[in-house]
Amino acid sequence: MTNSKIMIVDDDPDLRQALRLRLRANHYDTVNAVDGYSAIALAYKEHPDLIILDLGLPAGDGFVVLDRLQKDDKLSTIPVIVLTARDPQSSERRALQAGAAAFFQKPADNTELLDVIRASLSHSVSGSVLPS
Amino acid sequence: MKDQSTHVLVIEDNPGDADLVRLRLVEGKSAADVSCVSRLSDGLDSLKQKSPSVILLDLNLPDSQGAETFRKVLEKAPNVPVVILSGQDDEDLAMKALHQSVQDYLVKGAFSSSSLDRAMRYAVERQGLLRSLEMSRKQQLEFKNQFLSHVSHELRTPLTCIHQFTSILLDGLAGDVSPEQRDHLKTILKSVNQLGAMVRDLLEASRVESGKIRIESRCVAIGNLVRQAVAMMQPIAREKEVGLEVGVDTRVPFVYGDPARILQVLINLIENGIKFTPVGGAVTVRACLVQTDPDFVYISVADTGCGIAPEARALVFERLYQDPNSVDNSRKGLGLGLFIAKELVSLHGGRIWVASEPGQGSTFSFTLPLYSLAKLLFPVVTYQEKLREDIVLVRVSLRAPTKPVRASWKETCHRCLEVLQRCVYLDKDLVLPPMTSAGADETFLVVASTDLERAEIMMTRIREQLGRVDGLDGTGEFQVSALEVSLPDPGANSSLQDQVQEVACIVGEMVRTVLGREVGFHRTVRPVRDKL
Repeated sequence: MTNSKIMIVDDDPDLRQALRLRLRANHYDTVNAVDGYSAIALAYKEHPDLIILDLGLPAGDGFVVLDRLQKDDKLSTIPVIVLTARDPQSSERRALQAGAAAFFQKPADNTELLDVIRASLSHSVSGSVLPS
Repeated sequence: MKDQSTHVLVIEDNPGDADLVRLRLVEGKSAADVSCVSRLSDGLDSLKQKSPSVILLDLNLPDSQGAETFRKVLEKAPNVPVVILSGQDDEDLAMKALHQSVQDYLVKGAFSSSSLDRAMRYAVERQGLLRSLEMSRKQQLEFKNQFLSHVSHELRTPLTCIHQFTSILLDGLAGDVSPEQRDHLKTILKSVNQLGAMVRDLLEASRVESGKIRIESRCVAIGNLVRQAVAMMQPIAREKEVGLEVGVDTRVPFVYGDPARILQVLINLIENGIKFTPVGGAVTVRACLVQTDPDFVYISVADTGCGIAPEARALVFERLYQDPNSVDNSRKGLGLGLFIAKELVSLHGGRIWVASEPGQGSTFSFTLPLYSLAKLLFPVVTYQEKLREDIVLVRVSLRAPTKPVRASWKETCHRCLEVLQRCVYLDKDLVLPPMTSAGADETFLVVASTDLERAEIMMTRIREQLGRVDGLDGTGEFQVSALEVSLPDPGANSSLQDQVQEVACIVGEMVRTVLGREVGFHRTVRPVRDKL
């Protein structure tokens, strides 16, 4: 069985590296994007199984990325987990409404994040009913 | 006061005094436009039409006397400067009025046109000054909030970096770690977490201060919430070797509040308790009812710590307060936790206080209002101090989608609740807070203070707007139905409170029936949107 591919979108190289190390240790393959534009381009090219998305990005912020993904038939089924330094009070609801599967504020609890990644991947693969 | 647009409103019932004021105004050539009324109600009415530059106000009018008079005027026109025309005998009252934002007073018959002119001009100037002060105060508060929000956002990125790489080292993802190195890394991680909590508290406190906190109240099982908070804090208590126990009275009913906010208060108090309790001590969280105060649930967090000196007890809820005599060797923190807890509790309409003896431990207690259907129904089922004849129950059922959608179902349900709140008259109709926590299908009930005919209009609006909610349009389904309920004839001797209580019992019973089984509702309507 091949590893699931996760796309990390974050403009901070250190945070990308930390996340990559963490995900690889949990047997996920990763690809990186550093801004909104390249995130969308890379999503077309690589068609990842899941996307971890920062909101504050150069060249099209996270909401633009969410919107573009949502509007594309092929990409709209990819679960997106938002991982941002922004405040949940101002951004969580908006992100969920824009189609994100989950919202985490940085620094996120690694165990929780990995749990949600696992759950999101299993739903998008099997196409089963959402959990109640 | 030579400005042509100057408009003076004189509220004075004595024709002689009114004429004299008018005469002085003409002499002083000060006002281009004077209107005189003799009753307060006429004065308040004319304020609705046109806002004057200044109001000259007699305090004793046929329809209002004394302090009441200027209180009503200030309430209706808080930005218009008021100068009081007082008699010889009520100068004391006029002085009192000055303390409540009245700008000046003149004793009738004892002022010249120039002193009247000057009083009015100064009143206008002072009022303008006050207004700009208030505006700059608001701007400064707004600036402070933006600043804190920006700072805390920027602090989070490096904080996350330290957190992530420390935990990568700790988890051995970058090679083996010696036991000593592991201890040091744990210390770093602990400190980073403290820093994270401080950044969060800073933002939270500034938001609380500027009234930007949203309380989304619903029906909450407080016992479960207490147990959840205790479970979350158990690892921290265990690490410090402090016992953490729960004592929830099983009869404690539901409270009306925002579960996330109540949890925040509980965690703040428990964290505080653990911090000030020595090794081997215990923190106990209780929830109970108190006979003398039947509308509230009492929740307390008791510790066996060092206690609080009497003079400090009133100060602990102040922002940035830190106990100067604390011998505790853990870090103090910012001193914002209890301040935030106090503000959150009062936003719920509850109280918070502390009882303590130095050396004997402290007990922090707070109250939360019970979820009382009668209280929520009161404005809905009464009209002009009487019980309405009938009301309408509108039920909105949402069927969860059968294929996965990106936006979560919980979020969709929340959007629907928002739609409902937009579709009803907030002061007249009641959208019952959702009772189910998580579940596939969701049912909302609206108690509408109207008849079936008007309810139809509301239902059409609800259907239209629900059809546009993401997550319902493609995959979910919804039904909107209504049932008219005739309210019982009020008993001759029962008070309005008792009558509403009785209605609450009826409605409560119906809610139980409706949520349990498909009965009693007619005019069930299929979804308005056909699936493509």
